[in-house]
Amino acid sequence: MVTLMIVLKSIVIGALVGFGVGAGAARMFHAPNVQGMGAFRTFGELNACAGDPISHFSFGLGFLFNAWASVVGAGALTQDVDHRVIPNWAAALLLWRNKNVAETLHNPKQMAIAGAAVGVVVVTVLNSTATAIPESMQLVATKVLVPAANWLINPIMPIVFWMAAMDAGKRTGIWGTVLGGLSHLVMGNAVPGIVLGILIGKGLDDSGWNKITKSMFIAVILLFVFSGFFRGFDVALLKSMYVEIPQWLIELHETFGSVVKK
Amino acid sequence: MGELQAKGFWYSEWAFPLFVACLASGIFAGTHLYYVYHVGAFNDIAIVAMLEAGIKGGGYGAAAAFGASFLFARILEGPLVGILDIGGSLQTGIGIGVPALMLGAGFTAPLTSFPLALATGALLGFIIGTVIILIRKYTINASNSTFGADVMMGAGNAAGRYLGPLIIISAIMASIPVGLGATVGAAIFYYYNKPIAGGAIIGAMLLGAIFPIPTQ
Repeated sequence: MVTLMIVLKSIVIGALVGFGVGAGAARMFHAPNVQGMGAFRTFGELNACAGDPISHFSFGLGFLFNAWASVVGAGALTQDVDHRVIPNWAAALLLWRNKNVAETLHNPKQMAIAGAAVGVVVVTVLNSTATAIPESMQLVATKVLVPAANWLINPIMPIVFWMAAMDAGKRTGIWGTVLGGLSHLVMGNAVPGIVLGILIGKGLDDSGWNKITKSMFIAVILLFVFSGFFRGFDVALLKSMYVEIPQWLIELHETFGSVVKK
Repeated sequence: MGELQAKGFWYSEWAFPLFVACLASGIFAGTHLYYVYHVGAFNDIAIVAMLEAGIKGGGYGAAAAFGASFLFARILEGPLVGILDIGGSLQTGIGIGVPALMLGAGFTAPLTSFPLALATGALLGFIIGTVIILIRKYTINASNSTFGADVMMGAGNAAGRYLGPLIIISAIMASIPVGLGATVGAAIFYYYNKPIAGGAIIGAMLLGAIFPIPTQ
């Protein structure tokens, strides 16, 4: 009875998630003219498979094994289901019949429908099969794919984006470097900061300091201040400079539910 | 990257909140599954463990603060770069942070009832999607600059090319048979003009199934 409920609910959840992920992933290829959703890593990995169905399928398969091991062990599907398995398998499904990426991988309608179909199968299978998969396959996933993907996210993607920012001109190079370094400190990865640097640098190149670039600049400052505060960067900074953490700051963190360790 | 003047419902601004609503609804309902059956949360073990700590009576502060901060940062970043990071915003923010806030405040209904979980997630997702589109209206869309879209696209494409070699190196460091499998697989794929990442994974998996990687 419990398994049946899990299966029925998983079908609904898989369809909803797959639909959103598929449409969002396809829209990433039209960013920033169209608002997409996914992640820069998803975007980079989809590009790495270069519209080849076998590559998309095998990349997703590796992370399916990883998710499987995680859901059997801890009930957690891992973020890879949304970031990697569903988008890559949806792409593989579509590219099988039509190799033209503009009509398949880059088309939100096609990807949403394929994503929903893949989501139903993947989420249901993962949630309902508590029996273990071959351990040797899990090991390949965790020992080969996970480190490779981590290297791609850091340091490869920061370096590639950094060089692109510097090659695009003095202004994007400076903004990309400063915001990239700060972003790696505060958010743990330089890519978002470098991208924001390219946005501001190119925005200034094209139109100078106007209302739009100024409001973007303020939004970026807010982004850094708030994510720094909520990730405890302020406390870590004071600590590494051997400054006593003031009581009001500890209390401020407490009001937002995070505990400052002395 | 193809047709930049893409038009119609699937490319429109107002369709975006609907897509976010779908995804957030599914993710929030996934947390409902986890709360009730202990399976199905859309996040990594370490992050789900923070929610689990709260469920087991250890307080929801960590999960709530972590989730809320990611949600906030990604909502600001999303409209600026054109890509909403679903890992931080929806999977961690909506899937972990918001449930932790609700449970911490004593609201269990959105997590114990499946229809209510779907509705809560959809509503939150729709709000987030709308906020992002509104921020866009006052920044990117109000200008005739492309804000370096070509630079970012180029970097995204270039970064992707590194994945194949990285998988081969990682496979070689895992074990000799797995490394050989990845190398040969990648070479075969390269010969047939296919991305080498796929061949490396298939080769590593095949030999890894026959000669398992030592666990020590």
